[in-house]
Amino acid sequence: MSPQPLGSLHGFAVTFRQIFRKPITQQYPEYKRPLYPRFRGRHRLNRFENGLEKCVGCSLCAAACPADCIRVVAAENTPENRVSAGERYARIYEINMSRCIFCGYCEIACPFDAITLGNEYEISEYSRDDLIYTKDMLLAEPRKRVTIQDPELFDTPIPYYRAKA
Amino acid sequence: MSTPELVTVTIDDRAVQVPKGTGLVETALAAGVEIPVFCYEPRLGPAVGACRMCLVEVEGMPKLQAGCTLTAQDGMTVRTAQTSAKAADGQNATLEFLLVNHPLDCPVCDKGGECPLQDLTFRYGPGRTRMTFPKLTFDKPIPISPTIALDRERCILCYRCTRFSEGVSEDGELVTVNRGAQSMIATFEDEPYRGRFSGNVIELCPVGALTSTQYRFLARPWEIQNVPSVCGLCPVGCNIDVTTREGKVKRVLSRNHPEVDEGWLCDKGRFAFSHPHARDRITEPLRRVRRRGFEELSWDDAVDEAERMLRAAGTRIVTALSGSETIEQAYALGKLLRQGLGAHAAVLPEETSTALDALRLPLSAIRDAELVVVVGDQPVEERAPVVDLWLRAARRRGAEIVTIGPTGSIQTPPGSAPQVCRDLAAENNELGRRLRGGQRSIVIWSGPDGRGGEHIAALAHALGLADVAGSGAFYLPDTPNGRGVADAWSAVADGEPADPEPIALLIVSGDEAAANPGVRALAERAEMVLAITMFQGLAVGWADLVLPGTSYLERDGTYMNLEGRVQRLRRTVIPPAPDELAWLAKLAGRFGVELSPHPSLVFEDVSARLFGGLAFADIAATAALPTRAKAAPRPPLPEPEPQLGGDGLRLLRYRSLFSGAAVERVAELQFQRPAREVEISPEDAAAKGIASGNEVAVRHNGTSVALRATLNRRLAPGVVRIADEHAGDLGARVEVGRA
Repeated sequence: MSPQPLGSLHGFAVTFRQIFRKPITQQYPEYKRPLYPRFRGRHRLNRFENGLEKCVGCSLCAAACPADCIRVVAAENTPENRVSAGERYARIYEINMSRCIFCGYCEIACPFDAITLGNEYEISEYSRDDLIYTKDMLLAEPRKRVTIQDPELFDTPIPYYRAKA
Repeated sequence: MSTPELVTVTIDDRAVQVPKGTGLVETALAAGVEIPVFCYEPRLGPAVGACRMCLVEVEGMPKLQAGCTLTAQDGMTVRTAQTSAKAADGQNATLEFLLVNHPLDCPVCDKGGECPLQDLTFRYGPGRTRMTFPKLTFDKPIPISPTIALDRERCILCYRCTRFSEGVSEDGELVTVNRGAQSMIATFEDEPYRGRFSGNVIELCPVGALTSTQYRFLARPWEIQNVPSVCGLCPVGCNIDVTTREGKVKRVLSRNHPEVDEGWLCDKGRFAFSHPHARDRITEPLRRVRRRGFEELSWDDAVDEAERMLRAAGTRIVTALSGSETIEQAYALGKLLRQGLGAHAAVLPEETSTALDALRLPLSAIRDAELVVVVGDQPVEERAPVVDLWLRAARRRGAEIVTIGPTGSIQTPPGSAPQVCRDLAAENNELGRRLRGGQRSIVIWSGPDGRGGEHIAALAHALGLADVAGSGAFYLPDTPNGRGVADAWSAVADGEPADPEPIALLIVSGDEAAANPGVRALAERAEMVLAITMFQGLAVGWADLVLPGTSYLERDGTYMNLEGRVQRLRRTVIPPAPDELAWLAKLAGRFGVELSPHPSLVFEDVSARLFGGLAFADIAATAALPTRAKAAPRPPLPEPEPQLGGDGLRLLRYRSLFSGAAVERVAELQFQRPAREVEISPEDAAAKGIASGNEVAVRHNGTSVALRATLNRRLAPGVVRIADEHAGDLGARVEVGRA
């Protein structure tokens, strides 16, 4: 016997009351909740409008990364093969998504705004190897579009690269 | 020397006593205060005060002073940026000025992350720039040589590089052109910077203006490991830091050992590190099939095959050692062959002389010498380049350097060095008398003769140099670890080497031995040849079993340099094949010889016999030199071998510094290799009607080599000089004529 029988009954009453309420289960993946504008999802590497990559392969993101999941190998631009705006470019740029903790430090460390964290979060795979994202994957447009909650509803500042033109 | 007078200096309210004349930067360091600098580098000679980073406030002086140009005076009161707002303001303004035209492309720059300008700006400089005008721009990068790239935008004109070129390596190839704000660093007449020490300017540069083309954009400082090791390409044994990233060597930096290299490193040691990744590197054991074909075989099969060869040969084995093995490898090989099989015959890289141990000095003693006599056919800089820097430092300090040889200040014919030694030892020789009477006299042997150690030791003992603390002798060997290899080999067992005839098995250990024509000749007489080598080109066609060798960058162990200093080699990257000790230990087990695959344990064994029980772990990062041995009874001067007579010009072959298996496999160093030239003295050229640049034919006994003639004023008449790799089969006497 509970030392406080009335208290126990009071507690159960809360449970029973919920039975008659309408459930608020959201049917993911049919329904996806809109994200906050500053949600940190999978990374994207950005390009300039003329097509050149913003990344110069400086490895500052790798230095800032607390999970040590970024690998950058740089190479030199040549007149025949100009990839980025500076003297060097990232020949290999890999992020191991299975280690990434989505802290966004890489984004903060980047001196050229070349890497930004996007909104995409559905990046599960069946194999760990598939979670190593190469430069081509990071440069590509995201496969799945995610709805974002109306920024007007929040008072968080919107980064300029997300602001609507 | 009298002890210098001590003076008391107050720096930031801390009193410190230092010898009078100490630089203010060092004085502050003794007081625990940092004075930041860019251009100041005591190894480059007197301070120039070019960068103004070291501004300090000195009591009694109205303006801020450049701290690096001052020396400690008694009663001096100095305030650095730590306690003086005026000095802090001055340094802040200095940095702002330095950054006016500095491009701030740190994310792209190779120096970013290990850049003094970055670090000091962070600590002493302005956080924001006020510069709103366009910065100066230049073409960049300018390759001042295939190994060095120059970026003039980043240069802050500290003149470290030009001072090095002018005052340390004394090549004078890097200069400042124009004046004032238009000053810029350039090579003389825009020729490529061709020198033996050019790579040091990369390390001296406090910004990213001079960078290595090999290291360009390969790694950033937070992605690398620096492994302290020792260079294994010449007998000096310069201390190095090997930068690795992702299991590959990316660059080699010098590591200051004040007694060996003073922080300098030659271009061969600095840039030849990529040879382990050469295309013809052997990574699997190879067995000869048919006449010139090879097939790969597994390691188990290879060890079986080697065992079969050893058992078949028994004691009729000759081992050719190359002098680039570690002490442990040589000992392990010796233990297997001498203790396991009783095969004592060996071709050693050097004939060492223990008499030199009583004349031992650190290399830095050359700088302090009064009189240095270099005897031998080969220039010092081709054999042991850093010794040449010590000689230049000695000359700058007022020492007299006398070189006796075909290209020396006293000209003698090739091969006369043993006779020169006898002459110097004679009572009535003027130079010998001065060596005998000096307090700091040093004699150096720099020749190809394997018995040079014996000659020079006998000379030094005859002159009584062993009894004077500052005097001594050096023998510059051919190979990086010849002394250590020979000592380790002889320490294994006491058996008398018999000359087996016919040779059943020739074991060729290492690339130098594989490239040695004498060893190749032995291979003709051998029934079987087992070669341990790194590269296909050296073994294919004549070895029956080839086992992959490793580079000095891939080994753990010890090397003994020309001073007799035991230094530690560290494995910087994993070799593509098991290293020599691993399979030697396996093979030794089959012959009932106990051998550890771990260098530390093998060294324990060697050390008990050779180095008085010195522990592997006690070899410091900057290894100590063993004390001088007690002077042995004076060895007699060996008889010089009779000189070959004959007509024609004497041929002097020399092995260039930029030669050998490692250099041949580094694309960036090809421009440094000797040209296809024959050097001829002006007298001979005039007699034969040859002008500099003429195509000539050098003939000997029916063979002829076509080369370009070049006049060398320092060459003795009657002698022509050709680099080994171009001399082919030419003999000692040659005819030179217009082609």
